[in-house]
Amino acid sequence: MLTAITRAFRTPDLRKKLLFTLGIIVLFRLGSVLPTPGVNSENVAKALEQAQAGESNNIYGMVQLFSGGALLRLSVFALGIMPYITASIILQLLVVVIPRLEALKKEGQAGTAKITQYTRYLTIGLAVLQSTAFVALARSGQLFPNSNLPVLLSNDVFPLVTMVITMTAGTAVIMWLGELITDRGIGNGMSVLIFAQVIAVFPAELINIYRLSPFKFAVVMITGIAMIAFVVFIEQAQRRVPVQYAKRMVGRRMYGGTSTYIPLKVNQAGIIPVIFASSLMYLPQLAVTMWGNSEKPNVVVEWLAQNLMQGDHPVYASVYFLLIIFFTYFYVSITFNPTEVADNMKKYGGFIPGIRPGRPTAEYLGFVLNRLTATGAPYLGFISLIPVVALGAVGASANFPFGGTSILIMVGVGLDTVKQIESQLQQRNYEGFLR
Amino acid sequence: MELGISIALILSSALMVLLVLLHKGKGGGLSDMFGGGFSSSFGGSSVVERNLDRLTVITGIIWFVCIIALGLMLKP
Repeated sequence: MLTAITRAFRTPDLRKKLLFTLGIIVLFRLGSVLPTPGVNSENVAKALEQAQAGESNNIYGMVQLFSGGALLRLSVFALGIMPYITASIILQLLVVVIPRLEALKKEGQAGTAKITQYTRYLTIGLAVLQSTAFVALARSGQLFPNSNLPVLLSNDVFPLVTMVITMTAGTAVIMWLGELITDRGIGNGMSVLIFAQVIAVFPAELINIYRLSPFKFAVVMITGIAMIAFVVFIEQAQRRVPVQYAKRMVGRRMYGGTSTYIPLKVNQAGIIPVIFASSLMYLPQLAVTMWGNSEKPNVVVEWLAQNLMQGDHPVYASVYFLLIIFFTYFYVSITFNPTEVADNMKKYGGFIPGIRPGRPTAEYLGFVLNRLTATGAPYLGFISLIPVVALGAVGASANFPFGGTSILIMVGVGLDTVKQIESQLQQRNYEGFLR
Repeated sequence: MELGISIALILSSALMVLLVLLHKGKGGGLSDMFGGGFSSSFGGSSVVERNLDRLTVITGIIWFVCIIALGLMLKP
C-alpha cells in the first residue's frame, strides 16, 4: 500500500495531478473558514457553541454536512456545493418531464454539455436565493434560535447586499474549483469537494466524543469501521450477467468470439437517492423555520413541525426510508436502460446464453436489475437510517460522525478516486493499490 | 474607504460569476458524480479557454483580497 503511494508520487504526471487536487482542496477549505465580511465572527463562534450544546443542532444536518460546518459559520463558501447538487437534481428530474431536455440528452455529448450549462446557470440562481435566505435568517436571528447575540455587524441594506453577492460568487468559485479538479486533477471534482467537506468535520467530532467519554469513543470507532467494511462490501458487490459475442468476419479479419459480462451492481444508483431524499426532507424543515413562528399557526406547518422535524420520529424515519426506496428505483431506471443495452448487444452480435437477443434480453436484464435493486434500495435506506435510529437509543445520534450518509459518501467517492488513480498508475506499472 | 472596497467586492463578485459561467462546464452533472463512468479528459484546452482561466484566476485573487480587506476593516 505504502509503496503504491510512493510510486504514485514518483510518476510525474500523476504527482502533478495529485498535488493540484490537494492544492484546490486547501483553497476550498480556506474559503470555508474565511468569514464573509460583515459577519461578527466572535458572536457566531459563541452562538455555534450554544447551538451545539442545545437540542436544535440537527435542523440543518444535511446541509451542514455538505458544507463541512461552513454554513453556520457564514463563511464565504457557506453554501458549499449544495446549490450545484440541488440544480443537478432538478435538471435530472426535468429531463424526464420536459421533452426538449430529453431530446437534448439523447443527442449525446453536445446535448449533455448543454444540460450541464443549464445546470450551471440554475446553480447561480439557486445560490442567489439561498444566500438571500440565509442572510435574512441570520439578520432576524433565526439562524441560531437559542442565542440572542447579533450575528451580523450591521443591519443596513448595503452590507447585506454585499454579503449576498459575495456568497453567490463563492458558490460560483466552488463550481469552478470542482470543474478544475475534474479537468486537471484526480476524480470527479464535485464529489472530491463533498468528500473533503465530510472528512473535514471528522477530527473535531471525534475529539468531542473522546472528551465526553473514551468508552463511547471506542464504541463509535468500532461500529464506524464495521460499517465502512460493510458498505465497501455492498458497494463492490455486483452480478455479472454473461454475454457471448458471435464471431464475425469483417474483410479478412475475424472479430468477436469473446465472452464478457455486464456488471450489474447491487447498488446501481450509488448514493444519489440518499442525497435526493435528504434534500427533499430538508424542505419541510425550511418551511417550519420560515413560517413556524407566526401568530396564527398554519395546520400544515403545525403537522410538519410535530412529525417531520425530529430525526428519530417514526413518521420522519418511514417517510425518509420510502423516499430513498422510491428514488433508488427512479435513479436506476434513469441510468440503466435495459432496452438500450439489449439493442446495443444485438447490434454487435452479442447475446446472453440461453436468452434470445432483442426484447427477451431486455426483459431479462430488467428482471435481474429489479431483483438486485430490491435488495439495494432497502440497504441504502437502512444505512442512512442507522445513525437516526440505532444511535438515538444510545443517545449519541446528534454528533455521531459516522452517519450513514457520510459513510456512503466517503466510501463511494474514496473507492472511485482510488480506482481512477489506479488506472492512471497502470499506464506505467501493473501493481496498484488494489490487489 | 469601506464603501469603495464594498463596491470593488461587488464588482469583482459579479465579474467572477460571469467568468465562471463563461467556462465550458466540465462537470457532467450528478450522473458521473458518485460511482459514475470515468470521464477522461483528452486533449488540451483551447487558447480561449486558457486566457479565460488566466482572467478568472486574476479576478479571483482580486476578489479574495477584497474580502480579506473588507473583513479586516469591519472587524468588531
